[in-house]
Amino acid sequence: MLKTLALILPVVIPSWRFFQTVEPSPRVQWAQLHGHGTPEWQEFRPRPQAVTPLHCLLRLFWNPAWNDTLFLVSCAERIQQRPTDHSITEIRRRVRAHLADDLPNAVLQFRLIFIQREQTQGDGTPHDGGGLTQHVVFLSAPFRATKETLK
Amino acid sequence: MTLDSALRATEILLALAFLQQCAEHMAGSPRDRLLFLPRALLCLLLLADLQTSLVLGALALHSLIVLHRYAGPYNGGSDRMGLLTLYCLCLAHILPPGIGRETAFGYLGLQVILSYFISGQVKVANTSWRSGQALRDVFAFSAYPISENLRVLADRTHLLWVVSWAVMLFELAFPLSLLHPAALILALIVAALFHLANACLFGLNRFVWFWLAAYPSILWLQGRITPL
Repeated sequence: MLKTLALILPVVIPSWRFFQTVEPSPRVQWAQLHGHGTPEWQEFRPRPQAVTPLHCLLRLFWNPAWNDTLFLVSCAERIQQRPTDHSITEIRRRVRAHLADDLPNAVLQFRLIFIQREQTQGDGTPHDGGGLTQHVVFLSAPFRATKETLK
Repeated sequence: MTLDSALRATEILLALAFLQQCAEHMAGSPRDRLLFLPRALLCLLLLADLQTSLVLGALALHSLIVLHRYAGPYNGGSDRMGLLTLYCLCLAHILPPGIGRETAFGYLGLQVILSYFISGQVKVANTSWRSGQALRDVFAFSAYPISENLRVLADRTHLLWVVSWAVMLFELAFPLSLLHPAALILALIVAALFHLANACLFGLNRFVWFWLAAYPSILWLQGRITPL
């Protein structure tokens, strides 16, 4: 009951603080583990180099992959604040399903990196025009690439 | 716009927005298909205006399952506006005609106003937004630009400074549009174009449909509080 209330309250009394600050931005990366050498990390669902105006228009009506990627951003931000099984499972499930065909039964791992503007001011706030840095904030346990089952 | 026509317009627009959302989810995993099929069917009933009060109640109950499934809204602000619209419609149908019903629907209109005003207020209070740096960062490294090519916009310093201030001033001035029906319609057109731009640049397509669904409430509210 309390959990339901906690989920509904931000809907009924929204804060509407869109883009108040540009927070460190997450990227999900995955790697295949071979048991030797350093894992080669690759971005999960990298954005395309370009999107045509026609595709922009079509995406107004049909945009499931991108919306799911935005959900993964939310999961990553939740993990950064407080890791939960739910958010970790959601990311792992998608990485596993995405690679099940190309790397059947491979041992995989995902990690979250956060990119941000360099913090160069005394109070720790980002300095306008500073360079970009990235930090690894989460490394998953190894798991196997398998097809998703309904459960 | 009468209360009844505004409520019906909102029901239709919300049903269409939910159907778009359901279609996207149902193209995904089997369990998402199972989760969103009831919402899609209920939306068809809502469009057909069959047992609307019951359908809205069922949609509200179903929304709790979806909120639990994703441990919150799936797509942040757009889902929140969709659910807020649903809950306000639900209350407006449950409450008897009169002040209670008007308050429930008026609350949605108020939240539409606040969604722009608060968003502008928090930006203008931030030095990064006033200098244009925040919008440069959105393009430079945030997860939102839909393509790598869009990242070069981060170097358009003067353009982004102008856009930052245009967005902040529009959002802050939005409540003033309530002073005249023509001003409100113009403001809503500009706001819809703003959401359209966000959809094209950042892939936030669901914001377009859920905010459009909430616009009848503010059109009705404007006529209710400032009758000419």
